[in-house]
Amino acid sequence: MVDGRQDGNRRAWLLRSLAGAISATVVAVFYPVACFLRPRRATVSGALEVVAPFKVNELPDASGNPFNFGGKPCLVVLTPEGTKRLASGARLRPDDVRAFDAVCTHLQCTVEYRADHDDIFCPCHDGVYDLNGRTVSGPPPRPLEMYKVTLRGAAGKEEVVVSRKS
Amino acid sequence: MDRVDRLYCFLRERLGLDDLQRLASKKRIPIHGSTHFYYFGGMALFLFMIQIVTGILLSLYYKPSPDQAFESVEAIVTEVDFGWLIRSAHSWSANLLIGVLFLHLLTTYLMRAYRRPREITWVTGVMLLGLFMAFGFSGYLLPWNELAFFATRVGTAIVGIVPVIGPQLLLLARGGEEVTGDTLARFYSLHVVVLPLLTFTLLGAHLFLVQKHGMSVPGREAGVHDDRAGSPSMPFVPDFLLRDMVGWYLALALLAALSALFPWELGTKADPFSSAPEGIQPEWYFLFMFQTLKLIPAYIGPFNGEVIGVLFFGMCGLVVLLTPFLDGGRNSRAVLNVLAAIAVAFFIVMTAWGWFSKADQQLWRIVLGALLTTIALFLLVPSTNPKTGARQMLYGFMALAVVVLLAAACWEVLA
Repeated sequence: MVDGRQDGNRRAWLLRSLAGAISATVVAVFYPVACFLRPRRATVSGALEVVAPFKVNELPDASGNPFNFGGKPCLVVLTPEGTKRLASGARLRPDDVRAFDAVCTHLQCTVEYRADHDDIFCPCHDGVYDLNGRTVSGPPPRPLEMYKVTLRGAAGKEEVVVSRKS
Repeated sequence: MDRVDRLYCFLRERLGLDDLQRLASKKRIPIHGSTHFYYFGGMALFLFMIQIVTGILLSLYYKPSPDQAFESVEAIVTEVDFGWLIRSAHSWSANLLIGVLFLHLLTTYLMRAYRRPREITWVTGVMLLGLFMAFGFSGYLLPWNELAFFATRVGTAIVGIVPVIGPQLLLLARGGEEVTGDTLARFYSLHVVVLPLLTFTLLGAHLFLVQKHGMSVPGREAGVHDDRAGSPSMPFVPDFLLRDMVGWYLALALLAALSALFPWELGTKADPFSSAPEGIQPEWYFLFMFQTLKLIPAYIGPFNGEVIGVLFFGMCGLVVLLTPFLDGGRNSRAVLNVLAAIAVAFFIVMTAWGWFSKADQQLWRIVLGALLTTIALFLLVPSTNPKTGARQMLYGFMALAVVVLLAAACWEVLA
């Protein structure tokens, strides 16, 4: 016996299954699409060591500075003391050459070294960092990340090896 | 009134949904023996939408330069999640789309749906088919693999055969005398900018005309129901739309199965200075032309054989395009029907021949030919009258084709 109520139930059940099947199809189609949109895994990550494409004596206006450090620009700076030591022919101290992640912490412009001001400057929104990477003025919320620098080779013409831990 | 109803009322008042609803409820689909032919258009539209989505997705990673094209497609299928599936779906869907369009063209011809006032609908449809074949041809080169490179060289060389303007057309198509990175850039721009723009325009016109004139009823069916008001029909929404969606589901299922089970091959990177690989072939929908040009002798009388071939196919295209204007009564219709039958037979034979062109594949040639013939005959069934001998004859031919198909397949498998 099929009364009206049962018939309505059956119809509702059919409509629910139809909606369920269509939803399942939509999920089955959009899951691969969403995965496809996710960027490929980065080819370089974690610990890294790169030799800068210039020698210490070419600083501060070395061509190729900032250079590619694992897909990000890296800025190498020779401090004023270092410049003096280099001019007098003295051996450079480890602290005289510094390397920074050159991406401004404000809105990701690439920063530059200003020799006449002895600071690191972001031209996009006038952010100023000192030579330790700390914010001096302007909008940057955090200091620049500093990398480890190792000098090697003949005195006065050392290679700059920049490295970071993972 | 719950929230959904309130939102609906809000939108209905502001977007004029009542007008849309009235428009949708007005559209009706006639019911007759050939009603299921109407599904092919919707299926083609569905596959075209898949092409748009998968094409946009592929363009996120693809790089159109000879140094990077192959590598980027390689990265899509090996590194990107589900990249192999998206690329396979794009390639398979393109092939299914062309197949469905061929069937749409054939069934529209069988129903003679191009009669007044639908001539322009037919013309836009044939032009769309041409555009989709151009999509296929230009997209074939983009992965910059060996097969694509030589197929493009051959295909564009055929353009160069056209008398008088051929050499200029060749330069225009290749962007130089040879197939180079410039050709790749041209084909890419054609594939993702020019052809889509043209297609959207023509498709808009095609769909508008279909809505404007309504569905065409085959003459024989219209004759059965003399008074138009009495002829059976169903509303488009929801009756036909739901049936249409079943067609889309079938297409989606077939596409998913093909893409997952037979991922599209990438081959090896093109080297413009190596010799062409053996067994080089275009896509199946160009195969009948490829095979014909292979068979035509170099000279027919004083004329160049290839020029004759290219002009012949150009003429065929023109006849198809102008069919509504050539159908001018009983006699011209008989001529057209004979030509159409010859054309379909020619297409089937040449495709089967081109597909299995090696001597030891003769039986497979017969299998493919018999299969295609069965499909073509099956399509004819609704357009014949069940009461006449024509239907019986059709069943007879179909049975014969199936027997040939099974016999050849069994022989091939056992041998």
